[in-house]
Amino acid sequence: MPNSNIDIINVIESKLKDKVQIQLGQLGKAAIVTNDGLHRDVLKAMVEADEKTAVSAITGLDLGANLGVLYHIRTSNAFLTIRAEVPKDNPKIQTITDIIPGAVFHELEVADLLGVVFEGHPSPGHFVLSEYWPQGVYPLRKDVKANEIKLNPPPPEEAKQPEDEKVVKIIIGPQHPALLEPEKFAVTVDGETVTKVEPRIGYVHRGIEKATESRTYLQDVYLVERICGICNSIHACSFVETVEKILKTDVPPRAKYLRVVALELNRLHSHLLTLGHAGLEIGYETLFQYFWRDREPIMDLIELTSGNRVYSSLMTVGGVRRDLKDSDIPKIKATLEDLRNKLPFYRQVYEDEPSLKMRMRNVGILKREDALKLCVVGPVARGSGVDIDVRKDEPYEAYGEIPFKEIVYTAGDTWSRMNVRMDEVEESINIIEYAIDHLPTGPFRVKAPRVVPAGEAVNRVEAPRGELFYYVKSNGTVFPDRVKVRTPTFANIPAFLKTAIGENIADIPPNFVSLDPCFSCTDR
Amino acid sequence: MIDFDLIFRILVFPGFTFILLLTLFCDWVERKIEARIQNRVGPMVAGPAGILQPLADFIKLLTKEDIEPRDAKKTVFKFAPLLAFTIMVFATCFLPIDGSSVLSVSGFNGDLIVILAFVTIANFLLFLSGWASCNPYGAIGSARVLTQFLGYDIPLFLLALTPAFIAGSLSIAVIASSQVIPFIILAPWAFVLFIITMQAELEKDPFDIPHADSEVVGGLETEYTGGKLAFLHLTRDVQIVFGSALVVELFLGGPYGPVLFGFSVFWYSLWFVLKLLAVVIITEYITTVFARLRIDQVLSANWKIILPAAVLSLMLTVALVTWIYPMVV
Amino acid sequence: MAKKSRVSPMFKRAVSHIFTKPATTKYPFVKPQLPDDFRGQQVYDIKLCISCGLCSRDCPAKAIEMVEVEGKRRPQFKLDQCIFCYQCAESCPRNAIKSSVFYELATTDKSSLVIKPHASVQKGE
Repeated sequence: MPNSNIDIINVIESKLKDKVQIQLGQLGKAAIVTNDGLHRDVLKAMVEADEKTAVSAITGLDLGANLGVLYHIRTSNAFLTIRAEVPKDNPKIQTITDIIPGAVFHELEVADLLGVVFEGHPSPGHFVLSEYWPQGVYPLRKDVKANEIKLNPPPPEEAKQPEDEKVVKIIIGPQHPALLEPEKFAVTVDGETVTKVEPRIGYVHRGIEKATESRTYLQDVYLVERICGICNSIHACSFVETVEKILKTDVPPRAKYLRVVALELNRLHSHLLTLGHAGLEIGYETLFQYFWRDREPIMDLIELTSGNRVYSSLMTVGGVRRDLKDSDIPKIKATLEDLRNKLPFYRQVYEDEPSLKMRMRNVGILKREDALKLCVVGPVARGSGVDIDVRKDEPYEAYGEIPFKEIVYTAGDTWSRMNVRMDEVEESINIIEYAIDHLPTGPFRVKAPRVVPAGEAVNRVEAPRGELFYYVKSNGTVFPDRVKVRTPTFANIPAFLKTAIGENIADIPPNFVSLDPCFSCTDR
Repeated sequence: MIDFDLIFRILVFPGFTFILLLTLFCDWVERKIEARIQNRVGPMVAGPAGILQPLADFIKLLTKEDIEPRDAKKTVFKFAPLLAFTIMVFATCFLPIDGSSVLSVSGFNGDLIVILAFVTIANFLLFLSGWASCNPYGAIGSARVLTQFLGYDIPLFLLALTPAFIAGSLSIAVIASSQVIPFIILAPWAFVLFIITMQAELEKDPFDIPHADSEVVGGLETEYTGGKLAFLHLTRDVQIVFGSALVVELFLGGPYGPVLFGFSVFWYSLWFVLKLLAVVIITEYITTVFARLRIDQVLSANWKIILPAAVLSLMLTVALVTWIYPMVV
Repeated sequence: MAKKSRVSPMFKRAVSHIFTKPATTKYPFVKPQLPDDFRGQQVYDIKLCISCGLCSRDCPAKAIEMVEVEGKRRPQFKLDQCIFCYQCAESCPRNAIKSSVFYELATTDKSSLVIKPHASVQKGE
């Protein structure tokens, strides 16, 4: 792999020696403090040195008199943060969307929720908040109380007709049978070909990031678990890992292995759900019913290990809440063996079924350069030849000790993305069996203090849909100061806007489902 | 003189009531077969083994509120579904069900073409009903209905001519009764192609695109509620029964089969229903096993594959009938 | 539509499934088997409670309210707000809250979902 041995800190040091301040070991591998627009120079240097530089998230902070803007960047072998600050009475900062186009959504969100103005942004406007929101009120600022905001109806807007008579705008959503959750996509079509897609997200915005600031850390574990119903364990795990980084607690080894088992069970049921849902979108209801029939034993396993089919609530700061009983292990192994024996049938269907291949092959092609520029994550990236997987790049929990393969396909179409997920199902089964066989003895939990000293930490994990990023800032009380979540679907939607152009309108549902959208995650 | 026998034949058996009950029964069979293939149970609560489920769905729809959009074309919106249903039932009445058709004197030379024309008119009325609802999804759905059935009508006519050619007549009654050896054995290629074309005419998977609810919400049914939606669904079900009955008449020997004892009317109806169920099961199997094709794939399949195959099939049948079969049969 | 040398396995599987038993559990005529530590309705033992109020303080959904019963503060559970996370059972220093497998809690009367504390609330009330 080219560029995998580049020491990105050296590159930045050599190019911008005295203009920036590098703090090693903070917020990832290093935190780079910049001001007066130098963040663009740092980014340009990084992009030129390493092609896999991508924006993971942009966090906005309310620091009293200033607003902090943190750019979290990932490269092939490092994870850094660039710090910048702008004063509250003139919160202007220059955009980075010309250097890294995938930062469009991230900047829009910080602008919407905190009021930072990104100069040069291609399409400013409301993103997560509704048009009914009062002007000048930014909910994540500390002086805004959530129950004192009054909504006013927006001024009436005349409907703008497109100039060309043949060009028709079709609105997909907010309520639509193709979407599981409400979002609006205004698709401009010319005949049957798509020319432009304009998204409007924010229909399921519940203000969870603000809600975490008024609940204790212990209660927040359950709150962030409910950001998403499908990948709930991963959210809880990432949050407790971040808090444990601030507390500098060491989790016992048995807890690490038990966490891996819970996370991989979550990944299994999520991938089976997507594979079935994709079948439904192309009209293949039989495949959908078969996949969901095979998903039911996994839900029963999750119920066996955690007491509930969906929200497992297993994670807590300092370990896991319950142990794995030895009497349950034979049932877990039998169910996983059953699932493994069913996979060759599905692989053959994907290889040989003519109508499925006609709908999925060469549909929604995402080329490798586009995948790198748009900062996509997860199976969408791995289906286009970009081999990023947090479990391999920066192992967390017990993943450093468990052998497994990273699945990469290069064609970049819907069919490859689905195949990535199907192969990952097999890898997850292998990981769970290895973890159960090598489960260390000892305690599964240590006691953690309820008051967290002041500090901040970042953490990223591999959710079923991609890289999930958490940033937690604490201020010495039982309530966190700021929790920032960047979910994988948030980073993947710009890829859909790119792949849908030039395709048939009938290809939009399978194309869309192949990036596995989860809008509850996106909107929080 | 009031001909009670004729009125009975038109209204009860084998006319209107019988066709309606047969439609509801075939709907139940379809849903059960689809459910069993998908490893589920299907309807199981309404009536024994769920057999009253289609009737329950129909009655439920009749009790719902009937909303009309303000901008819809009122007359067409109201009457197109009902008219389509009427025409389909009328077309089904031409098929011999118990040995002779509903109006026993209605069979004439050429009624095969007439009932295929009726099907086209009914499909066109369905297109109009979607078009009149003044909704972008309805417009797209009904445009797809039109493109699909107009395209597939041509091979349908050509393939329907094959058994007519073997039997030497364009009257359905004559075709059905002249099948000493069922035409499925004499011209199996035509049977396979006819089943595929019938799938496209009936808008079932893999040619399901006008009803694709993941893209066009409801297609032409989007703005319909209440009683009118009930009639649209019923029209679709009667179309399926009609299509399968046509296959039975043209290729499987119609209602004619061995009469073991008693009334021939009873046995002819029984054979008809059994053969109908066999065809319904085959088409439902094809529906469940395939995914849904895109509209451009459907159309290119028609013009590039099905239509040339239909022409070739007709030529092959003509050659066989003229030269080979008189030497063998 | 080029002919492939291998046929999709779906054709044979579809036919064989017609003759196999369906995978559906015919609830409510057949009930599913649940594990013993399933997180159903809480069972509260008033004899072990020491009125510390930790369950109410730690509840993420604010579903537990301390009310006065016979001169002592006891927890009252609001099942329509509860998220069944069992943080209350974990926080209780005397193990007075335990789990049960009762999950059929749907009702048309919302007031029956407020479980007031009185001597030994059993499951199903």
